[in-house]
Amino acid sequence: MSRDVMIDLQQVSKFYRGQKAPVVENMSMTIQQGEIVVFVGPSGCGKTTTMKMINRLIEPSSGRILIDGTDVTALDGNDLRRQIGYVIQQVGLFPHMSVATNVGLVPKMLGWDRKRVEARADELLHLVGLEPAIYRNRLPRQLSGGQQQRVGVARALAADPPVMLMDEPFGATDPMTRDRLQNEFLRLQEQLRKTIVFVTHDFDEAIKMGTRIAVLGERSKIRQFDTPESLLANPADSTVAQFIGRGARLKQLDLRRVDEITWEDVPLIQPDKAANGAKRRLEQAEGSSALTVDADNRPLRWVNAHDLAADAGTLDGAGQTVTTVEPQATLRDALDAMLASRDGAAVVVDEQGRYAGTVTLDGLMQVIHHTPEQEEPGAEVPGPRAGVARTAELTPEQR
Amino acid sequence: MSSATQIRAEETVLTPPSRWRGLLRRHATMPAILAVVLLGVYLWISTTDLDDIEQRALEADKLLRAVGEHVTLTVLTTVLVVAIAGGGGILLTRPSMRWLAPFATGLANIGQATPAIGLLVLLSIFLGIGFSTTLICLVAYSVLPVLQNTIVGINQVDRHLVEAGRGIGMSPLAVLLRIELPLAVPVILAGVRTALVLAVGVATLATFINAGGLGSLIVTGIKLQRETILVTGAVLTATLALTLDWLGGVISDLLRPRGLD
Repeated sequence: MSRDVMIDLQQVSKFYRGQKAPVVENMSMTIQQGEIVVFVGPSGCGKTTTMKMINRLIEPSSGRILIDGTDVTALDGNDLRRQIGYVIQQVGLFPHMSVATNVGLVPKMLGWDRKRVEARADELLHLVGLEPAIYRNRLPRQLSGGQQQRVGVARALAADPPVMLMDEPFGATDPMTRDRLQNEFLRLQEQLRKTIVFVTHDFDEAIKMGTRIAVLGERSKIRQFDTPESLLANPADSTVAQFIGRGARLKQLDLRRVDEITWEDVPLIQPDKAANGAKRRLEQAEGSSALTVDADNRPLRWVNAHDLAADAGTLDGAGQTVTTVEPQATLRDALDAMLASRDGAAVVVDEQGRYAGTVTLDGLMQVIHHTPEQEEPGAEVPGPRAGVARTAELTPEQR
Repeated sequence: MSSATQIRAEETVLTPPSRWRGLLRRHATMPAILAVVLLGVYLWISTTDLDDIEQRALEADKLLRAVGEHVTLTVLTTVLVVAIAGGGGILLTRPSMRWLAPFATGLANIGQATPAIGLLVLLSIFLGIGFSTTLICLVAYSVLPVLQNTIVGINQVDRHLVEAGRGIGMSPLAVLLRIELPLAVPVILAGVRTALVLAVGVATLATFINAGGLGSLIVTGIKLQRETILVTGAVLTATLALTLDWLGGVISDLLRPRGLD
């Protein structure tokens, strides 16, 4: 195993007095350093209880929990919690304290001096995209819901904890804000590489956020613990499949990015060149369509032999409109672009908008039927997710 | 440069106008009214021909002593009640003691529901007459509003804030002092104000067990059928109650946590 175990749950159970059945029963799980493990399951399945036992907001009845090799029960609960970031759905910013005070609470408890606490608060506000000069003295109620949740994340990060627990952190925001917060958080995680336990009941969020997903059943029983890709491709049982819901194939498209699949090449024509030459190239290529591009290789329109024949003089305005995607776009975006284009193909362009290749429906079909297991057999933990921040590399062959 | 000015402009918009001005506007009426009433009574008394009894009863020394006794009783009651009921309320909202709260409020309710004069007489049978018996009676009588408001005030603080506080590693005491109490202050102080006003009223009964106060003026006025003495005692009692209530209002405005509306 290439990475270190950060959190180790060993046979953890939680009983409450007066209740026959345990809330959590013999749960064992190891979480690697730097991954986001999502607990997902129906409400009341014990996922939040399990999470809260990690920072001992709830004391486990039996079993052991190790963080970075240390048994959490050996530490003082308050000290432990100061070293673990904690974000909840209701945000929990203290309404009578300024944004900066809220963010600086943990460093202050750790005994940092005032200057350092203030500097750290500013740094974190900046990190989560809130200009410190504007926001540091505001009260929580003067912020929008999304901004409040950003401050909540900043507060959790304040003492730079290696481990973070997040309990439906984006659950109370509207879908658009949630999507933005999720993307921002994933981008942040690219830099910070925290070990995160993330609880949600929204499977789509789990797929988006998780390095690995634990689908939990009654009493926090692990029904399946795997990467989003494998979970979608091979649900362990009918309950998991039911939980994934419809459209597992479409959800798989969300997980893969355009730069992970092979692109195809089409003939390029620069309109100012002679149309005759273009026609010849089209015939040579055997394909039905070619792409007109401008002097900088930016795609303009799809043309076929018919367009060339009809208007031999110039290609201006001829042919069909082109839909483009960037290499970092998901395959779902690519599919959308393909459906919008008459030719069933989307043109991949680089950051400057220059032609890089095309992706087609056939290409997508191949990806979907080629499950991750077959690609990387035995790999338990995948490499870093092809993240938003990953730069597009265009290999010469692809050009 | 321009961006800096913009930021500063935005901050001015967000900073609320000085709280003193608002305080003055909200709280200036009551002292004015009270001053007018007191002045009116003073003019009325000084322009009336007073007989010996009235003159003796309305001597400045005597009046001041009565007011002093009354204020002492009230203030001591308030201090004791805040300590007992405030502390009790805090204890009764701790998770381990929460189950006791209904019993405690039930007990406090008995003190409040018993007619004050009955309570006073009953207590004086057991404890004898005098100052301390009056104090105990007043405390028993005004514990309930403070106890109940402390419990309600702390319990109305969003549980998620408490959870968030514990979750980031605050100790239970820090959560109480930095989150629960500051956010419960408006409700607790409302209870204290009620208790203060009750105490001023009930303290007029102190005269029946020889503990002085403004009640003695009222009782003298009734017994000897001297309207001047009766009115002076009544007006001073009412003024004292309203003044303390006003003071409570000012204090609770000052202590109201920012960020709550």
